[in-house]
Amino acid sequence: MSRLEMRGIDKAFAGVPVLRNVDFVVGTGEVVALLGANGAGKSTLVKILSGVYARDAGTIAVDGTVRRIATPADAIAAGIRLLPQEVSVYPELSIAENISIANLPVHRRFGIASTDRRLMRRRAQELLTTLGHADLDPNRLVGSLGLSQQRVVEIARALAGEARVLVMDEPTAALAEAEAEQLFAVIEALRRNGVSVIYISHYLDEVFRLTDRIVVLRDGEVAGNFVTAAVSHETVLHAMLGRVVDELYPEKSTRIGAPLLSVVGLSQPGCLRNVSFEVAAGEILGVFGLVGSGIERVGRAVFGAESAARVTSASIAGQPYRPSTPRAAVRAGIGFVAAERKREGLIGMLSVRENITAPFLGRFVNGWQVDTQAETRDTRHWIAALGIRCTGPEQEIRLLSGGNQQKVCLSRWMLGSISLLILEEPTRGVDLGARREIYRLIRQLSADGLGVVVVSSDAEEVAGLADRTIVLRHGEIVAVLPGSASASAALAAASQTTGSAA
Amino acid sequence: MASSAAAPNRLVRDLFAKSWAGVAILLVFYALIMLGFTLLSPYFLTFGNIASIGANMAFIGLMAAAGTPLIIAGGLDLSVAAVAGMAGVVVALLSARGINIWIASLAALVVGGAIGCGNGLLVTRAGLNAFIATLGTMSIITGCSLVLTGGLSQPLNATDFSYIGSGTVLGVPFPLLLMVVVFVLFWWVMARTPFGRRIYAVGGNPDASRLLGIPVERVQLTLYIVSGVAGALGGIVLASMLGAAAPDAAGQNLLTVVAAIILGGTSLFGGRGSVWGTLLAVLILGTLNNGLTLLNVSSFWQEVTRGSVLLLAVGLDQVRVRFQTR
Repeated sequence: MSRLEMRGIDKAFAGVPVLRNVDFVVGTGEVVALLGANGAGKSTLVKILSGVYARDAGTIAVDGTVRRIATPADAIAAGIRLLPQEVSVYPELSIAENISIANLPVHRRFGIASTDRRLMRRRAQELLTTLGHADLDPNRLVGSLGLSQQRVVEIARALAGEARVLVMDEPTAALAEAEAEQLFAVIEALRRNGVSVIYISHYLDEVFRLTDRIVVLRDGEVAGNFVTAAVSHETVLHAMLGRVVDELYPEKSTRIGAPLLSVVGLSQPGCLRNVSFEVAAGEILGVFGLVGSGIERVGRAVFGAESAARVTSASIAGQPYRPSTPRAAVRAGIGFVAAERKREGLIGMLSVRENITAPFLGRFVNGWQVDTQAETRDTRHWIAALGIRCTGPEQEIRLLSGGNQQKVCLSRWMLGSISLLILEEPTRGVDLGARREIYRLIRQLSADGLGVVVVSSDAEEVAGLADRTIVLRHGEIVAVLPGSASASAALAAASQTTGSAA
Repeated sequence: MASSAAAPNRLVRDLFAKSWAGVAILLVFYALIMLGFTLLSPYFLTFGNIASIGANMAFIGLMAAAGTPLIIAGGLDLSVAAVAGMAGVVVALLSARGINIWIASLAALVVGGAIGCGNGLLVTRAGLNAFIATLGTMSIITGCSLVLTGGLSQPLNATDFSYIGSGTVLGVPFPLLLMVVVFVLFWWVMARTPFGRRIYAVGGNPDASRLLGIPVERVQLTLYIVSGVAGALGGIVLASMLGAAAPDAAGQNLLTVVAAIILGGTSLFGGRGSVWGTLLAVLILGTLNNGLTLLNVSSFWQEVTRGSVLLLAVGLDQVRVRFQTR
């Protein structure tokens, strides 16, 4: 008997079918990957399972019993738990309180009901032990934990009731590689305890490592159902994209131009120590490291967005340069695309047009006024050139998908004359199809003579894209890798604990 | 069965989702109260009465016009009405010492700009919360005005100066004209110039704007200065209308200024709003005041009405934003 059986699920939004006759079955203690490009119907299926959307047709059975799942409360009663992409915990409460928050144990003292703190702690301890984290003190504040440990607390909270099926939506998106390892161990523990896991991820490597079976959705239909051990990456990608997948990454550069940016002795108290590097025109330089390595500061320090950062000396295109403010950096010909698109990249309420022209608005000024016609013309050009899917230049940017938002973030800098582009985590939260387009675009820009710095905690991405990679650990450069180096070489250099790296 | 009810629902929803829906709702509301008061009072719809509504609201409109871009850019100036009071006092005290009234007025504008600059530096450089910083300066400025005048109203008896508050151009009150000109100017700056675009960008997402090389702090500082100058201008108009500078005459209008900006559809969280909404809101609040007075409704009830209208408008706006988000 299967743990979960979804049969013949149909769903349409305003007459447009998003799911067509989908069967999805998960066995007890089985870890099943749910894959698909953006818009394939993954999230709709999961939302139906967790009671957020009502299905148009089909049945859902848990442990052989058909369940009526119309609201999130129904889903929880059926033992189905959804872990959203973003960690949601109460940082000011203890681990034990976080785990029991939905159902605090109560006892009576002198006739007054109060929280049974001892029972609450014991419960938390048991659950953490099950998940292989017996070392976590239930009294600790969750805000003091790292992201992956917060994830563990969240999973423990989901298990606090009678959890049978756990849905994880991109659980590692915000985690560094080492932290993800902890999460994988937790998933193993879940499997041993008979909890079924539905695992949604863009990272194929993770999927192949963790899961027993892979179900692929494409255009609302099941496009493949594979036993993980007996299938190749290519077959899965083919099922997802529906066509023969060419290389995800473009060819590496063979013609590196003259040195463009040179940074000597970049330091920031507590984060970076004496980091020096050069970028040539036409080159893509990777900056790779695990969380805590300080890589997330490198790009913004050069861009002048870290006020505490200092350089011994720096120059760009032969001119001396000193990072001070982003404004000065833009004037010196540097563009920057931040990792956190929503928080630092997009001006959500403004249109695609207004977002694209923001950094070089001065080029669209006619007398005293903004020349909106010229703006629209250029915006249309970039929408067409980059294949940005939107209703037009006036659509609000927040309504676009991650990949299309990222294309807007890149195209902004094409309107001015920059010589160096710094990209942080350029494909975070971007689906596979758009990812390849973005990689091609980055390569195209460098081939046009731009120097590109790609700061990334994704070893695959750095190995696939960069012509040269500097690897950081504890704020220092520990290795410089050539473009031919593999992802595992980058990972090895970044994670060594003794200082024997080249 | 659901589809028949869903069709008109969709229509309302689509209408609500348009970007101009906020201003359209205000326009409809304004038309309704105009119609209502016209039916209820024979004295309401006369040229003189309508012109006097505009003239009486002008000094509030001037402050609200400048407050709108400031709030859109993520700032807030609670001291603006106190600056208006201070401006009147500066004009009165200087002219009492024999200084030319126009030079005195210019000095008042400079004082207003300087106070705005101080507010802006407190917020953008010292990093104080705008609400707290301008609450503090509001209190300081009000106190200073009272100290300078001993709390007494200062007479202002220059005939040509009274033109600002009471003069007319082709029958239209000068303050009303001044307000309209200022609103058109603000609309043009906000909708058409690069600076205007930056106002919306800075308020919409200051972090992203900074990383795009937009001088976030400079934009905000400029708007604080503009707010100070506009406050002073409003104070000059008020003093001219009253023929005297009362140190506490303007302070009580702060809430009306803020209410007009919010009623006009400007988001207190920044990034969204327009001066046309603010202008309509100023007219609505003035018309309500005037109409209810004509109908002999006690001023206590007027207070209740104003609050209810504000809540109603903000509630409707929430519904609209929710439709837009979908």
